[in-house]
Amino acid sequence: MGQLNLKETTSVSYERAEVKKGYTDFSLRINLDTNNISITPIEEAVKEKFIGGKGYDLWMMWNAVSANTKWDSPENAICISSGPLGGTPGYPGAGKSIVTTISPLTGAPIDSNVGGYFGPYKKFSGFDVIQIDGKAAEDTVILIDGIENKIKVFSASDLPEDSYEMSAALTHYFDEKKPVNVSIVTAGPGAAKTYFGCLNFSWWDAGRKRVRYKQAGRGGIGTVFANKKVKAVVARFGAVSMKSNNPADLDALKQVTKAHAKEINTLDPKQNRMAIVGTTHLIPIMNDHDCLPVHNFKFGSHPESHVIGEDVFQYIFDKGFDGCWRGCSVACAHGVKDFSPFTGPYRGTKVFVDGPEYETVAGCGSNLGIFDAQTILEINFYCDAYGLDTISVGTSIGFVMECFENNLITLDQTGGMDLSFGSRYNTLELIHQMARGKGFGTIVGKGIRKMKAIFAKDFGADPKFMQDIGMESKGLEFSEYITKESLAQQGGYGLALKGPQHDEAWLIFLDMVHNFMPTFEEKAEALHWFPMFRTWFGLCGLCKLPWNDIVPEDNKNTKEPAKVAKHVGWYAQFFSAVTGRKVDSNDLITMSEAVYNFQRIFNLKMGYGTREHDTVPYRSMGPVTVEEYQSRAERYDTQLIEKYDMDISQMDTKSKVAALRQKREEQYELLKDAVYTRRGWTSNGIPTIETVKRLGIDYPEVMEILKKNGIE
Amino acid sequence: MINVDEKKMPWFEGMTIASILEQIEDTQFCSVIRLNGKLVSSPKFSETIVPDNSTIQLLPLVAGG
Ligand code: SF4
Repeated sequence: MGQLNLKETTSVSYERAEVKKGYTDFSLRINLDTNNISITPIEEAVKEKFIGGKGYDLWMMWNAVSANTKWDSPENAICISSGPLGGTPGYPGAGKSIVTTISPLTGAPIDSNVGGYFGPYKKFSGFDVIQIDGKAAEDTVILIDGIENKIKVFSASDLPEDSYEMSAALTHYFDEKKPVNVSIVTAGPGAAKTYFGCLNFSWWDAGRKRVRYKQAGRGGIGTVFANKKVKAVVARFGAVSMKSNNPADLDALKQVTKAHAKEINTLDPKQNRMAIVGTTHLIPIMNDHDCLPVHNFKFGSHPESHVIGEDVFQYIFDKGFDGCWRGCSVACAHGVKDFSPFTGPYRGTKVFVDGPEYETVAGCGSNLGIFDAQTILEINFYCDAYGLDTISVGTSIGFVMECFENNLITLDQTGGMDLSFGSRYNTLELIHQMARGKGFGTIVGKGIRKMKAIFAKDFGADPKFMQDIGMESKGLEFSEYITKESLAQQGGYGLALKGPQHDEAWLIFLDMVHNFMPTFEEKAEALHWFPMFRTWFGLCGLCKLPWNDIVPEDNKNTKEPAKVAKHVGWYAQFFSAVTGRKVDSNDLITMSEAVYNFQRIFNLKMGYGTREHDTVPYRSMGPVTVEEYQSRAERYDTQLIEKYDMDISQMDTKSKVAALRQKREEQYELLKDAVYTRRGWTSNGIPTIETVKRLGIDYPEVMEILKKNGIE
Repeated sequence: MINVDEKKMPWFEGMTIASILEQIEDTQFCSVIRLNGKLVSSPKFSETIVPDNSTIQLLPLVAGG
């Protein structure tokens, strides 16, 4: 072991639970107030209902927090789990961790699904889920050592500040000879200074002999981590094989794993080529369909977008295997080696950048008017090193730039920085400021919802206009798709439990391009099935990309191609083979529905979870400004005339903006009604008694919360 | 002659992506193709001229992030 300054304060030996059919059936709790470590069996009834992954996290959190808990309350917990299928080597995407906490941005539970080896290593070390609560008095490192069967807590000093260097140093510290045995969760300095700190989850890249990273980005989980003075959580485990989950039917598991992996190996080169370009193929596709966020989501395309898409990144990405889980044949977690930043503490040195993915390119590139791969890489690098969520960073700075260009904020407030769209150097400076907690960056690091309040109160900015252009809902910044022409995806964002992240539903093409769901009922059906099925990945410890980013060749001939029925069937087989619980495709939806509704009621418990909180800014629905209307005048004019039967011959553009807005806002409310009905919720967006009973989540505290909200 | 998803198709002067898709069944969910390795999206299908000897791959329904 190396020479880092770690002082062991607690050490507990434990008997490692054997993994049976994907489960250890134990949870681990580390309380940082007392350094108390407790290992508790997970009840059969909890397993039955919550399945694992996000389900376990939410159940643990529900029991840890009260309605009064704030993100920085000691009792707020960070829960990390894998899931019964997590840790299956070779099954594409089967190594995810799911992290939850009460978010500093939303005040409600947030969840993030992340790669790296931590989730599986933690499980194979004996724990389906871990809960970290309390607050440490000094900087702390936690070790879960499944090789020596020890949990240790260290007080730490002199650790490298940024997330990258810290993970690398700790990886070598805890297993110099076999760094592949170590996976580390870290936050960075930016997590302590902003509300959108992310967590970096590491894995050892044996080919490149270096530590690599994936981010649990959304909702400020890193901020909570830093607030608890946790510098790192380390999981250490040895060899992993298909037998590590001790599956109920090993042969069936091998068969389905082989089938899915083979299909990806064969078809990815013919389809999206994710093993070469990651998700950057989406840049030109979104651009050409008017869905790429440009200038704070004002526009959906830009003539320069071709310089930040797959045509460029396929040559920049370092060649080699890029699976963020062992043997994941999608292998889309690319990076760039020998990158030389031109600003900040790493200026002039050579670094490895993990990324960028589509979201980072769109959010921190086109959305900011930055069409330059070099700057996007540098933003990506510093956000990760500082522990900042690139989506919230990009969407927040986009808002700031539009405010700046509209004189809602001026050089006086920005500390003399010109923050017009396209300001590359000042965008980077803003990010350095966020990480240091200095200057205007301190305000931007609070996120859009708080910025709106500060700009209005302190700078006299127009709150109504900021409400329209500030791309947040529930307090969380939007991820990077333009939804103006897809009512279903407006719902996909606005009705998502944690806030506007696309992991619940991505319906833009089905709705906007293919017009596959013209009625409200059809949209509502999609906003039921897709969020439920996508939730299931989080319950089991899986990545969703292998489900529908590479599809069978005959998928287009199936009844509902968007569901990729063959893969859903494989997932049911995968679940049955590991857990021994025989399920079919429909059962996966029912499993998720219970957890999904439970999370909605959890929002209610925290003071949210009703109709008013499913509101989205008008920028996501239609043109806020005359300039925006005029950029797509033909489309909007045609809609007013043909869809809404209006005579617009005497109307100026301002009146047309208002008329279209009235119609689109009405449509969104009608969509809410249809979705609530389909989900078995009241018109105020609360699950009914009948729904919670049907799903078997009618626990006494649930019923009490419903009663308090008038549901009896 | 052009090659569409590994099947040969006769080429004609002025051929566009849109005209190719009209000749193939079950393409209603095709909104992106690769023409000689380059992505082309549906808004440009009618205006994109296909040269002789081209290779075309029809990409599946776009699934987002
Ligand atoms: S598909 Fe990509 S993101 Fe998902 S597990 Fe595989 S490499 Fe990681």
